[in-house]
Amino acid sequence: MVHNFNRRHFLGTGALAGAMATMPGLFDRGARAQSAALNVFSPLPPDPAPPGAAKFSEDAFAKWQADNGATVSYETLAWPQLHDRMATAFASGAAPWDITYNCGWVPEFESFLTPYADNLPKALVDDLPPTSFATTTVGGKRYGAVFTLSLLTLFYNKELMEQAGFKEAPKTWDELKACAKEMTRDGRFGFVLNYGDPAGIGGTASYWMVFLQQAGGKVYGEDGLPAFKSDEGVAALQMMVDLMPSTDPGSISYAGINDATNVLLAGRAGMMMNWPFMWNAGNDPKQSQIVGKMTSAVLPAGPKGSASIDGTDAWTITKASKNQEKAQKLIEFYLDAEVQKRQVLDTGWLPIRLSVLADPEVQAKAPNAAVVLEQAKHPYDSFVTADYNQVTVAIGTEVQKALQGSKTAAQAIADAQDAVTAIVKRRG
Amino acid sequence: MTTTVEQRRRRTGVFFVAPALLVLAAILFYPIVDSILLALQRVQLAGGAVTQEWIGLGNFIRLFSDPVFWRAALNTAYFSGMEVVLVTLISLGVALLLNHPLGRSGFFRILLIVPWAIAPVANAVLWKWILNANYGILNGLLKSIGVIDYYQVWLGTPFSALNFLLIVDVWKSVPFVALLMLAGLQRVPQSLYRAAYMDGAGPWQSFLNVTLPTMRGVIAVAIVLQTIWSLRVFDLVFVLTRGGPADATALLNFLAYRVTFNFLDLGYGSAIANVIFALTFVLAALYVWLLWPRDVRGAR
Repeated sequence: MVHNFNRRHFLGTGALAGAMATMPGLFDRGARAQSAALNVFSPLPPDPAPPGAAKFSEDAFAKWQADNGATVSYETLAWPQLHDRMATAFASGAAPWDITYNCGWVPEFESFLTPYADNLPKALVDDLPPTSFATTTVGGKRYGAVFTLSLLTLFYNKELMEQAGFKEAPKTWDELKACAKEMTRDGRFGFVLNYGDPAGIGGTASYWMVFLQQAGGKVYGEDGLPAFKSDEGVAALQMMVDLMPSTDPGSISYAGINDATNVLLAGRAGMMMNWPFMWNAGNDPKQSQIVGKMTSAVLPAGPKGSASIDGTDAWTITKASKNQEKAQKLIEFYLDAEVQKRQVLDTGWLPIRLSVLADPEVQAKAPNAAVVLEQAKHPYDSFVTADYNQVTVAIGTEVQKALQGSKTAAQAIADAQDAVTAIVKRRG
Repeated sequence: MTTTVEQRRRRTGVFFVAPALLVLAAILFYPIVDSILLALQRVQLAGGAVTQEWIGLGNFIRLFSDPVFWRAALNTAYFSGMEVVLVTLISLGVALLLNHPLGRSGFFRILLIVPWAIAPVANAVLWKWILNANYGILNGLLKSIGVIDYYQVWLGTPFSALNFLLIVDVWKSVPFVALLMLAGLQRVPQSLYRAAYMDGAGPWQSFLNVTLPTMRGVIAVAIVLQTIWSLRVFDLVFVLTRGGPADATALLNFLAYRVTFNFLDLGYGSAIANVIFALTFVLAALYVWLLWPRDVRGAR
């Protein structure tokens, strides 16, 4: 039988298809009643992402969905856009997610989140570093669970370091300066970082906070007001300024960590502070020209020892979620020991579970895990507050001025303190 | 009471225009009014739920004492001023070349339109790589021909970063304005050039006394439009510099975004946005005035 498919048939079929498209729930309502749809807001890899968004534990993830009658869909965005997307969604009351990634923003978005982490199973909580809850706890309630042990450590090119006459990583500020100076030759630089964006964790201000803690200083005093206009605050900034002649001059224009990472992986710089994901990237021939030459170490000590900052990558559940119980179960799945193990083996992002960190297979594949654990014995406060972005822009902008030589370290710190004081007072 | 044909015609006209007016009210009037209301409140999301508190002109008063706002205002003034001058001059030059018999090939016009046709963010990413301090083609090119001895950090100093943003935006803006001016050039009656030639005018005098006066209206429109567009630049700053180094490239539009969405200070961000809106509105009014049809005596 031959159908004469004319324009009228075409329009009729189109109208029928359109009508069906407007009623998506008409035919699958029964199936939906039994399954929960979970919406997760996550960074795009190579930043830390969950199974299904990143390529690991995909079979286990599919099984979890089938076993729990849940369909998980991801909304992924490049890391720098996450905060602003969340801010607009929460402010407009139209946040569509059950689970959101958080990175130091828990105090800021606390009223839109639920303190589910207080109800996590004891066995799981006991296997997490107690300090991992520091940045997700507000008013004594735990709003999030950190899923990767992410501290800044020192990554360096062993070959360049040996050529510069150093047999091991610098252990003090003086050694760091001397080493960076000696490595700066033949068009290469001793040090590289991304100083281009002042804001947030991984921005210019947060790097200064690393040096500040190494100098023994703190951003805030007991009264909650800024307390970094001090010898420690100035010394920290002066250390960064002193490193500048040996720092890739492009650092002041690199807005993201990947820009700086690429310089180290191309063999054009000798050292940098970076997050643990660097290990896999540095040993991947597709991304790195220094495969086998890169290693990591605890950050050099200032006057008061070594210190770092915490990446604070955590999962949180929104108050508006209609599936809070399933959402918590999904986060527990993300924190499952086997999933955590695949996370580090396949993506390079370290697990947060202590038992997985101690796993010999993990330690063999990610030798930097031991370094990060060692780094975790030193302070690593990220000083997150509800107005963290505003504070870091104020500090980071002044740090940039000092790095460019348009202000002295002391003047920049004094001006930064004034700016942050005004922000804190306006916060009330 | 009887209605005239004219009254019925007007009523029908209003009836047909009403849906469009409703849409305009929803997508233009409501956001503008809401934004002005926001600017009169302290609206914050920090540390808790959305809080709103009337503070009158408090946000606008705060602008006067905010050094970052003034820095952004100065940056914007420099950026807009330079951009208008450069775009107008370069576009006029390009339009003159395209109007020359040798430049009338469609190929040149297609080539010209390429920078304008590239999506704004793609354009910014493209330039981010061109200007990269380690791998950028600009550094490679200049070094290979001996202009520079070592790679430069084009976005590394305040002066250089702001001017490279300017160059990139000029590159993107020239095509449209050049085509606008080309259309204006093609409307200049050839008889005027012939008359000028008969009077002994050379090419330069013809340009000054025939081309420019005839093009005055088009140039004015181009200047106003370009000023409006230069006040709205955001994508380049966001992708290339994030306002840095040290706020050297923070333009008003970027600052409004940063304060609103990054700092979540919605009221103050709206106040900054309203300053931009007021400037744009004045310029748009000027644009309308320039385009308003004149009667034979030149009265409005």
